[in-house]
Amino acid sequence: MELHQVRYFLAVASTLNFTRAAEQCNVTQPALTKGVQKLEQELGGQLIYRERQLTQLTDLGKEVLPMLERTLASAEAVRRKAREFQRKEVAPLKIGLAPSISASLVLDPIAEIAKFVPGLHVELRENSAENLVNLLLEGEINAAVVGDVQDMPDRIDGWSLFEERYVALLAPTHQLANRSSIGIDDLHETILLDRDGCDVFPKIKQSFFSEKSAQLGHCSGHDLHLQHMAAAGFGVILAPEHMPCLPTLKIIPLKGDQVSREVRLLAVQGRRYSPALDAFVKVARLRDWSIDVAQRSIPQALAPQVAGASA
Amino acid sequence: MPNRTDKTLAETRSELLTTFTDADWQSYNHLVKWLRDSNVPARALKVGDTAPDFLLPDADGRLHSSDQLRRNGPLVLSFFRGGWCPFCTAELCALQGAKDDFENVGATLAVITPETRHFPRELKQSLGLDLMVLADVDYGVAESYGVLFRVPDETKAHYSGLGFDFGARHGSLEWKLPIPATYVIDRDGQIRSAFVEPDFTIREEPAQILTSLRQAMSMS
Repeated sequence: MELHQVRYFLAVASTLNFTRAAEQCNVTQPALTKGVQKLEQELGGQLIYRERQLTQLTDLGKEVLPMLERTLASAEAVRRKAREFQRKEVAPLKIGLAPSISASLVLDPIAEIAKFVPGLHVELRENSAENLVNLLLEGEINAAVVGDVQDMPDRIDGWSLFEERYVALLAPTHQLANRSSIGIDDLHETILLDRDGCDVFPKIKQSFFSEKSAQLGHCSGHDLHLQHMAAAGFGVILAPEHMPCLPTLKIIPLKGDQVSREVRLLAVQGRRYSPALDAFVKVARLRDWSIDVAQRSIPQALAPQVAGASA
Repeated sequence: MPNRTDKTLAETRSELLTTFTDADWQSYNHLVKWLRDSNVPARALKVGDTAPDFLLPDADGRLHSSDQLRRNGPLVLSFFRGGWCPFCTAELCALQGAKDDFENVGATLAVITPETRHFPRELKQSLGLDLMVLADVDYGVAESYGVLFRVPDETKAHYSGLGFDFGARHGSLEWKLPIPATYVIDRDGQIRSAFVEPDFTIREEPAQILTSLRQAMSMS
């Protein structure tokens, strides 16, 4: 099936007149008729009744009409996209974020590069650090922001962006809410809310629960669900300090040797960077990621409360 | 603001050289000879060449394009080695002192470092600079100006011994540095003046840059 055949058929279907359809497609009537006949051969049946005074669609013609309309629209969209790419009107940038990395962290860099990269179109994807590395290698994403990663392949470039501590998020009515800091003994006696697939829990477990198991309460795969549960007094969340949190939660630092992690930017070594990716990597590697600055520079309409800002 | 002094960069250089240890002298002589023998400066862009376009972040992660920087007048672009180099910090302080003079003739000043992360920010804070410090992430601009070289092993060993980890400072496993170089680029992107010196202790005096700027302005 060729696109010009589809276009000829759709012109006949809309005008129900071969002469006007040929004019609309800017071809001779015999050429248009030949094109429609080839399409009919390919689809295995007559699409149009050709009668002297009456041209109308057959049942098959009516059935395939929506499909062929979609085919033409889709093909034209692809061509339009290609033209936009050539004119750099679309600059896709796919960024992977590990589950504990807040999207709010990349908003300011995205706003910055949008000033210089016309047509910037960002897609954010959440996945585990290991899966993000695979997505990078497969070319499904262009960059990833992750916490601690084990066994990084040689083909991945990584840059340290910043280090962040962990804090406790809890309801103002929680029994620990008036503490200035929370120690390991307190944590052993506290119900923790559990995030499915949490990429930081192994480190928390190693630091705080190597001798005594954590008391895990309700769970969810979404941070906001957990925060609502914490605000309702169901338990405590241990979270990286950059994570945005509900204003109804209290943020309390952990006592003693705090658990911290390094947040890293990843991209594939040697792969040619698009202008959007190039700008993103450069801005990310220079940006001041300290919490006050990060919070201040998030576009205001989007600014959440950042965990460490009031700690 | 850094303390303004009446010293020229040549005078500051003489003072700094008196603080060199034997190991410093040995490393310095080796690197300058290596750069001259390797003919690295010959690759640098020259007067009359078209300056390559760039888009670089400043010390705070804000992007600046070369196009934007020379929109209102000529651009003074100075490549330096990093905040760890005393000859570079002396040059930066001298440029800071001359910044108003450059702006009074309608020019924009930007300095370019191979350092990334917090290093450019800390350099600005420690020296009290309000210069536009651009970070040449992954060396692309220095490379396009032909002023980049791979640090020879002997020099690498010397700087490592002094505690300078360029891998951490540049965010790159490759140890590369720019030859200190100062360009005056007109609004059309033509290089009007080029100072490229393989001896990293020698920098263009701000007064000379100002003379080049005035010449460039009179020709345009």
